[in-house]
Amino acid sequence: MSEHDNDPLGFNRRDFLRGGSLATVMTMLGGVELLAQTNAAPGGETASQKPKVKVGVIGLWTRGREIVNTLALLEQADVAAICDTYPAALKRAASAAPNATQTEDYKTILANKDIPAVIIATPTATHKEIALAALKAGKDVYCEAPLANTIEDARVIALAAKASKLHVFQAGLQMRADPLRIFLLPFVRSGQLGKMAEARAQWHKKTSWRSSSPNPEREKALNWRLDKAISLGLVGEVGIHAIDQAGWYLGSPPTAITGFGSITFWNDGREVPDTVQLVLEFPNGIRMLYDATLANSFDGDYEMLYGSDAAMMMRESKAWMFKEVDSPAFGWEVYASKTQFYKETGIALVADASKAKPATPQPTPGQDTPLANTPLYYALQNFLANSVAFKTTTDDYKASYGADDLDGLADQLSKVARKPAADYLEGFQSVVTAVKANEAIASGKRIELKPEWYELK
Amino acid sequence: MKRYTLFAGTLTVFLVGAAVTGCGQSSSTTATTTATNVAATAPASAGEMKMFIAKPGSKMRIEGTANIIHPTWQIEGPMIGGWMAVGPGFPTEPGQAATPGKLEATNSVFISVHSLKSVKEDGTPYSDRMDEVMCEHLKEAQYHQVYYHLSQLTLKEAAKSNGAPYVCEAKGDLVIAGVTNSITMPVNITPILIKGDKGLEIKGNTEVKMTDYKVAPVDINLVLGHIKTGDAVKLIFTWIVGEKKPAPPAAAP
Repeated sequence: MSEHDNDPLGFNRRDFLRGGSLATVMTMLGGVELLAQTNAAPGGETASQKPKVKVGVIGLWTRGREIVNTLALLEQADVAAICDTYPAALKRAASAAPNATQTEDYKTILANKDIPAVIIATPTATHKEIALAALKAGKDVYCEAPLANTIEDARVIALAAKASKLHVFQAGLQMRADPLRIFLLPFVRSGQLGKMAEARAQWHKKTSWRSSSPNPEREKALNWRLDKAISLGLVGEVGIHAIDQAGWYLGSPPTAITGFGSITFWNDGREVPDTVQLVLEFPNGIRMLYDATLANSFDGDYEMLYGSDAAMMMRESKAWMFKEVDSPAFGWEVYASKTQFYKETGIALVADASKAKPATPQPTPGQDTPLANTPLYYALQNFLANSVAFKTTTDDYKASYGADDLDGLADQLSKVARKPAADYLEGFQSVVTAVKANEAIASGKRIELKPEWYELK
Repeated sequence: MKRYTLFAGTLTVFLVGAAVTGCGQSSSTTATTTATNVAATAPASAGEMKMFIAKPGSKMRIEGTANIIHPTWQIEGPMIGGWMAVGPGFPTEPGQAATPGKLEATNSVFISVHSLKSVKEDGTPYSDRMDEVMCEHLKEAQYHQVYYHLSQLTLKEAAKSNGAPYVCEAKGDLVIAGVTNSITMPVNITPILIKGDKGLEIKGNTEVKMTDYKVAPVDINLVLGHIKTGDAVKLIFTWIVGEKKPAPPAAAP
């Protein structure tokens, strides 16, 4: 076995360089210029109007408002309704969705036949009720991560989503829709970083996670993340994304977790740790170190992969590679843009949505905008695109073959080329890891994760 | 006569629908003419016409040429709708005896323009941008569907064995982007069973020039360079239809 044989997808370094050399080099060297060409509209071409999707956003606290604000940037989004049980949250979100109907009852949105898609960003423990009702109402559903605060609830949601073959279900693991991360996946799996040694990620932010309200009941509801009975804490509400990403890149969920957590700064009576550390074990002796704190904001959040030839850092929608002095030369890195990180030089890794596979003889023509947006932007964009694809395919199928053959329609929809996004299974599996990680933090012990826990049945 | 009356009524509804959904002045005019022809040439035994309707499993593939950077391109559509009506002499059973010559048959076929997607040679998705530009060129916003109406079907060669196709020549009108042209193409028709019911698999291909339909070549810049498509494109299709079962008799009052 060579030192580069760690390619679970079957990619290898030679394939990457052979198949994708021109694409890769041009991408690395001139993503911006190439994308500028992509977006050009010569010959009198004008960009076509993409069909809009009427969306209802349910849950408008911090995350919900971030979603509404992001939807306002998306050409295909038509935020038709917003919902929260707290009128102040409705009012604050309305500025980014001035034409949306406001409601305090999510069932109003589900009953509206003109709204085919909903986004659920309510407190995690309420996801199950709303997601199941939305699926039953025939909506396309984007459910924020974690899907639920228990494995049992996540399983129920995932099984319902699996059974709902005529509609889109997307788990809010937005990293899985990020074009840069999709591009870098085969880059990593084909051994470009050398033999994988370890992974690391952090999320640092100076914030209390506490909201105040003159109404004690409302305050308790607003601060659900600090209630250990219904909250998975930092690992569930934040760390789930980086941990899911590590498993995605390493080709396997973790096999064991050891956790630590403590209240180091926000000693305000809360039960949920404000600082956590995790050691997640993966196959082949690879471990991931994860830490998150609400007490310090230094260096923000990012994810790292360390190989024998190079390390790779991903921050939001940017990535850099840090090469070892004895690593093989690619050639293109000489010309690539670079960023200095103290004594280290980061080589920018640039991609666009179209070049996700390294073995493509020529880069696929470009699609939308340059990578200037957040992973959430791409996740919502792909959700809307998939919703449109399902809608148009359903309409075409019924026009061609009638409305009675639902099995045939489901079969046709299963063949729709979907934009990349986390599905119900990945959403479920990420909850398994998060719940067990939270248990490990609470107990301070090592928990071995059984493969069958990740099976959806 | 009752069944044929129903069939003609269905045809009329379809054509009106086509005009409403934006298939254009030219296409609807042509289609109306064709409908008149069908009615005029309908034999006295029209009551024996069998109606087949589109079933899943169909596929349209469009192949074209381009420039050096992108020497070829392909588009595929997984759904072909419509109906086909055939007369008594039309072979609907595998290996059924049939005499070469004109067959009594007509059809109306449609494909939603936005269901056509650019693909790589292996059939995987190619480019959203290419799809968008294609829709623009085919004037999808105005003409949602490409459609075809059969006006004459001639059997050239009967099936040589059970399961073998009947080799035919089809003449009809192809409507693309609201422009109608008559085309003639070879088609192979094979009687099949679809979940135990009678059906037909109709395979064919033909070459058309897009400028004949007032569709300009695609001329855009892509990531690795410029693509300008050629005028001639090849249409390759497999259309599956199944016999329409008569509606159950109405319950007695």
